Amino acid sequence: VQLHREREAFEKEGAGLVLIAQATPRHAAHFRRRLGIDLPVLADEKRASYEAAGAKIATLNELLGPKVVAKGFVTALRSRQPQGRTIGHPAQLGGAMIIRPDGSVAWSHMSEDVSDNARPADILAALREV
Amino acid sequence: MGIAGTADERQHTHAPSRADVLGGIELPDQDGIRHRLADYWQAAPAVLVWLRHYG
Repeated sequence: VQLHREREAFEKEGAGLVLIAQATPRHAAHFRRRLGIDLPVLADEKRASYEAAGAKIATLNELLGPKVVAKGFVTALRSRQPQGRTIGHPAQLGGAMIIRPDGSVAWSHMSEDVSDNARPADILAALREV
Repeated sequence: MGIAGTADERQHTHAPSRADVLGGIELPDQDGIRHRLADYWQAAPAVLVWLRHYG
C-alpha cells in the first residue's frame, strides 16, 4: 500500500514497479481489490523468483521474536492495514530489487526478518542513483 | 524444517549481481496473463518487490 501511494514518484523516475507475491492469479486479483491498488501483481505460487532473488526462509525467531513482532506492530499501525489471513509460505521473506536495462542489479534489499522491509523512500533514493 | 515451515538455522540472503536467471522466469499476473520478468527492465530500470505473503 505504501508503494502504491508512492507510485507517481517511481513513474517520475522512469521506472516500472512490479509486485510479486506467493499464491495464484486469483489471489493476486483479490489482493489488488482488497487494498485498492492498481500496480501489477505477479503470482509466483512456486516461489521460483523468490529463490532466484536470493530471498530467505525465516527462522522462528526471525518470524515471531519479540523485537520483530514489536517492530511489525508499529509498521502495521503506520500502514493502517490489518493483518489478514496468510496465504503462501508463512516463513518466506521478500525483498526489493532495482534492475537496470542491461540486466545488472543496481540495488537490492532482501529481508533479514519479517520486520526488515525496504521503505519506499529508500528504494526511491537508490533509484535516483541508477 | 521447523514450526510453520520456518528454517531450523539462520539463512543468509543472497541477491544476485545480475538478473539473468530472474529474467528468464515467466509469471502470470492478476488476470492470468503470463509475463517474462526481463520484459519489465528491457527499456528502463524496474523495481521488483517480493511480498512476504498475502494477508
